[in-house]
Amino acid sequence: MFATVTSVALVGVEPRPVRVEVHIGVPKDRFALVGLPDTAVREAKDRVRSAIVQSGFQFPNRTVTVNLAPADIPKVGSAYDLPIALGVLAAAGSVPPTVGSIVALGELALDGTVRAARGGLGAGVVARDTGLPCVVSVESAAEARRVPGAEVRAVRSLSEAVAVALGTTPGAPIRPAADSTPPTMVDLSEVRGQALGRRALEVAAAGRHPVLLWGPPGSGKTMLAVRMAGILPPLGEEERLEVAQVWDAAGRSGRAEMPPFRSPHHSATMPAIIGGGSGVPVPGEISLAHKGVLFLDELGEFPINILNALRQPLESGWVVVSRKGVSVRFPSDFQLVAATNPCPCGYAGDRLRPCSCSVPAIDRYRRRLSGPLLDRFDLRVSIPRPPRGDLLGPEGESSQAVAGRVEAAWAMQSERGGSNGRLGRGELDALEWTPNARQLLDSAIERFALTGRGFDRIRRVARTIADLAGAGPVDEPHIAEALSFRGEW
Amino acid sequence: MKARLQLAYVGMHPDRRAELERLHGSPEAVLDAIRKGRIEVPDRARRAGLVPAAERLEQLARAGIAISFREELPRHLAELPDAPDLLFVRGAVPSARGVAVVGSRRATSYGMSLARRYGVALAHAGWPVVSGLARGVDGAAHRGVLDAHGCGIAVLGCGPDVWYPREHEELGRALVANNGAVVTEYPPGTPPNGWRFPPRNRIISGLSGVVVVVEAAKTGGALITARRALAQGREVFAVPGDVDRSTSEGCNRVIRDGAVPVFDAEDLIEAVSLVLGPPRTPAPLDNVPADGEPVDDLVGRTIDELAVERPVSEVLARVARLEALGIVRREGGRVVKGR
Repeated sequence: MFATVTSVALVGVEPRPVRVEVHIGVPKDRFALVGLPDTAVREAKDRVRSAIVQSGFQFPNRTVTVNLAPADIPKVGSAYDLPIALGVLAAAGSVPPTVGSIVALGELALDGTVRAARGGLGAGVVARDTGLPCVVSVESAAEARRVPGAEVRAVRSLSEAVAVALGTTPGAPIRPAADSTPPTMVDLSEVRGQALGRRALEVAAAGRHPVLLWGPPGSGKTMLAVRMAGILPPLGEEERLEVAQVWDAAGRSGRAEMPPFRSPHHSATMPAIIGGGSGVPVPGEISLAHKGVLFLDELGEFPINILNALRQPLESGWVVVSRKGVSVRFPSDFQLVAATNPCPCGYAGDRLRPCSCSVPAIDRYRRRLSGPLLDRFDLRVSIPRPPRGDLLGPEGESSQAVAGRVEAAWAMQSERGGSNGRLGRGELDALEWTPNARQLLDSAIERFALTGRGFDRIRRVARTIADLAGAGPVDEPHIAEALSFRGEW
Repeated sequence: MKARLQLAYVGMHPDRRAELERLHGSPEAVLDAIRKGRIEVPDRARRAGLVPAAERLEQLARAGIAISFREELPRHLAELPDAPDLLFVRGAVPSARGVAVVGSRRATSYGMSLARRYGVALAHAGWPVVSGLARGVDGAAHRGVLDAHGCGIAVLGCGPDVWYPREHEELGRALVANNGAVVTEYPPGTPPNGWRFPPRNRIISGLSGVVVVVEAAKTGGALITARRALAQGREVFAVPGDVDRSTSEGCNRVIRDGAVPVFDAEDLIEAVSLVLGPPRTPAPLDNVPADGEPVDDLVGRTIDELAVERPVSEVLARVARLEALGIVRREGGRVVKGR
């Protein structure tokens, strides 16, 4: 009168095995569900009862107690319908108890159809770790299959799940996961002219430096920024899985080969950007941009508290989100690209169009951007409006060509131990500089009144420029170019 | 052709002439109507219009004056809806779009010296400088052009043989001698009547891609030129001035209405090059080779423009070095001199 089925719960993006324990007691109509379930999980009772009956089985006319263990992990969503139903059937003796030796995940329709649920990839991970086959919906199976070494079975209905669990059928065919990346990504070759902007993107990508593009509307900031993901090297096997896990935890499927590109609107809320939500936290935009690009257009329009919240993930590559006793850690190792107008109307400093903002308005706008977050932008580039001729100029270099150089620079950095964007002062002091480079650095400190942090930024960027040039010690031209990305307001 | 030339000698207001041509259908018909007295013009004008074209051509040749019909004029002028049907030309009209420098006839010395410096800089940069040969700002701009041995165009509000003001005859002839031109749509002998100047201003802006208003009172020809220029889709720049001085009221007003304020000559060159493209000859404004490194090839250009010739990393490094030395700085994306 007792059975267990394994399922999965996500803690942050990390899948944890969950034991679904079912006990059938005395003849009495009672169905209890315990073990930190949320509302959707509680509703499983009604779906499970109907699905069992509609699939041609008998629902036991006795007390049914379901426990989701361990009880301290919050369980959310409708994914436990399938394991609960299988457990009830096994405990009631309607099917052999061996039905429980699987990892099951899926929502049940009232007629017994198995639907996709959040955590398909997680089911794959638990299946790999436990050595059990995982039985999930057709859609989730495509996700679970991303995990190497996991045995994955796709099912369309509860009765098929029973048959698969007992080994009488192999299950439904699994379709490969759809790649949500549009097949034709925007390419850097479509950008004409903009030598400065292109170079800034390349240097930023090569050292994983946060980059801020500023200039009047129509100068091409956004056009450049949306092409950032295309110049990052393609994701490796491990990175793909990491990205897929985050996307799975967010309930989105189909992340794949290319680095993701996320561009949240400035009206997005803190939980939407950083992660959170009621109940169990879900990853925010900064985590969906993990191993890819986070683009903040109109940076000055974002609420200041959100901008400040970006600082910690930017430095560490992950974010901790706490909700009602649950604290989860989401990976958020993203390449930050931001664009902003120089003032609210956008035309301050433009050659042809006068700015229509009042001086206090400009001051307010810039104050928002200044301070701790602006400090994190290693490159700040002023993108002037291009002259008309540039719009008709020849095609530029392709994203792929740039990505090749970026990859080579990454290789040099990983030999040293990490990307230049994260170099601290101690590591910067330990870098090698040629005497000429030192001399220029010294005069730059004086001439540009560099602060300590400004000095560090120059050195980080200079190291990346040297990497792009394949150089050993940082030389004078590298420093000089880095100085030109200093971008004062 | 003959009728068009004869009609030009009637010397009507350009708007009236255009209207008549629209009503009667062709220059020949208008001329015929004038001859028959169906269109009212002063007797002298009627007689002037009846002189055979061949005789006129002979007179013009003797005076060293050429004529250019509308279709022979530079396209930027000829394509305007109210383009002149023909121009009397001394010298030759350059085909490139120019920069008009206009302003008050009662300019301050500040305005005069600024106009002259603008003339020098624009001419040096290779753009034709267009103005009205009037006293004040116009004259100063023309003189600046001559200082730089550049190409200047004077558009008159009177006949090509009537020098007004008198003292500017020499100036006008000097422009012609320096590959410039003196042009007018009014026939020889036409006096400088006040009403002839506003239509003249549309030719000044028509020959230009940019109109720079140096100094102007609230009412004045320069503002008419500025308005015409806007209507023709030209860029209007103006030099801002003190708010309590009547000589700058016009400029300040056009700035408030959307004209781009310009400052010194370098600034003007940068702004103009955004409209007309980079200067033909990178202007050696005041050759300051610091540390022996000439920077004239950088000044007034953007990094993107410079990156056409050299790798962008090299350009950035060079500019940054010069910035560190305090020789140049970047302003609005362009390299300018000074720290």
